[in-house]
Amino acid sequence: MKRRVGIIGVGVSKFGRRDDVTVRELAWESIREALEDAGLTQKDIDLVVAGSTAYRGVELYPAPPVSEYSSLLGKTPLRVEAACATGSAAAFTAVNSVASGSAEVVLAVGFDKMTEVDTPTSLAIGGRGGNYQWEFHMYGTTFPSYYALYATRHMAVYGTTEEDMALASVKAHKYASMNEKAHLRNRVTVEDVLKSRLISWPIKLLDSSPISDGSAAVIFASEEKIRELKVDTPVWIEGIGFGSDTSSIARRGEWTSLRAAREAAASAYSLSGRTPSDVEYATVHDCFTIAEIMAYEDLGFAERGKGATLLREGQTERGGRVAVNLLGGLKAKGHPLGATGLAMLYEVTKQLREEAGPVQHQFKNYVALTHNVGGTGHYAYVTVLSR
Amino acid sequence: MQAIPLELRYVIPERGYEKFWEGLKKGEIWATKCKRCGSLYYPPQRDCPVCMTSELEWYRLSDRGELMTYTVVKAKPQGYEDREDYTIGIVRTEDGVDLMCWIKGVPRVGSKVRLGTDGDRVVGETA
Ligand SMILES: [Zn+2]
Repeated sequence: MKRRVGIIGVGVSKFGRRDDVTVRELAWESIREALEDAGLTQKDIDLVVAGSTAYRGVELYPAPPVSEYSSLLGKTPLRVEAACATGSAAAFTAVNSVASGSAEVVLAVGFDKMTEVDTPTSLAIGGRGGNYQWEFHMYGTTFPSYYALYATRHMAVYGTTEEDMALASVKAHKYASMNEKAHLRNRVTVEDVLKSRLISWPIKLLDSSPISDGSAAVIFASEEKIRELKVDTPVWIEGIGFGSDTSSIARRGEWTSLRAAREAAASAYSLSGRTPSDVEYATVHDCFTIAEIMAYEDLGFAERGKGATLLREGQTERGGRVAVNLLGGLKAKGHPLGATGLAMLYEVTKQLREEAGPVQHQFKNYVALTHNVGGTGHYAYVTVLSR
Repeated sequence: MQAIPLELRYVIPERGYEKFWEGLKKGEIWATKCKRCGSLYYPPQRDCPVCMTSELEWYRLSDRGELMTYTVVKAKPQGYEDREDYTIGIVRTEDGVDLMCWIKGVPRVGSKVRLGTDGDRVVGETA
């Protein structure tokens, strides 16, 4: 990066089925929190990058209504989209705008109101999250079915079990129960997961993230601006790695790991000069439980095929070797697509600043990362951060 | 309140892929192959971006392969709601092409599969 960039404000809305708000109030919840957190007003923001998939809400072009409602007019020239990695695409755009010198202070806001359509419609939209004609049209793919193809192969090749996957759900629900803004705050057992309704074998309801509404906002600034504002604990972006892969899942050639995520991780480690063992805290993209297991492997926290071992040994719990998703993950905190990547940066920022309350992890070197996958590995972003 | 429904009616082109769709009606699976560099495309493509040519020929894929992975779809999307549960698989053909299909018979990763079509899609039967 040409200039060093840091995070100076973060906000996140309550996630869940938000029948009480339209997308405008929903986005404002996190924008307001981020502005207050940074001690700034709209006047201090040079550029707003809005991120939203926007396919499941009535507002198909939601950036102008959000910008108008939040008094950010004149600063919001675009909306970005990268499916479930939309929030990270917004962050990537914002960080590069600051790094390149085209802006000093940039607000990235991600939001989606996903519950405005019914579940079959939502499945039909998600099922198009590959290649319409060659997959959805002919075979009736759904979003869970794509990840199920990975789960089946991972089980067959490495011996990963449905019980292993259930452990990721149990962990997610446990931490979400401590997070007031989480969508699903009930605790579950391995047995509950195994007995839950089949969605696309081997994926069951409790292996799946819920369909959520929510927003998250992050304010980025240049190092110069951060010194000028005398920010106490800026959180520095050490590197953002990205990757992408085929639209057709059959053309990946392997179904036990996400190439895009491996490439994003390799690039993020190289840019930051860090290695997997330096990472003390991570948010990983656990849209389904198998995705958390693959994430551990793709990030180098575990060898290929050994991801479930970390769950069995509790190494990704608070106080473990690398704490993962202590706000409940996508699985239980919720997964409003546009918000997720920015909600991950919110989580890591709170942790690195030691403002995470009951789920605060103990750091030695204050190094963390976010891992955000779009589609079924169509896009991936890995961001390394430090305090 | 109820918002106004949005009904999206789409028409999509088949041009250049007639051979594929006709093949599906006859139990055949067709890919395209670049005449210049030999790259094999499935789903078929009209253009080879590797050598920047549109000189591709049709290539009929083998009807034998191996099941790489599969899933049984229980929660179905709009357009498939009235179907019985169906099994989506990925099969690696003897030509080394990986393709999506529906699986009939008992699925198992590694099983041998005989590929055909049901007129609308590729269907693989496990041995
Ligand atoms: Zn060629």
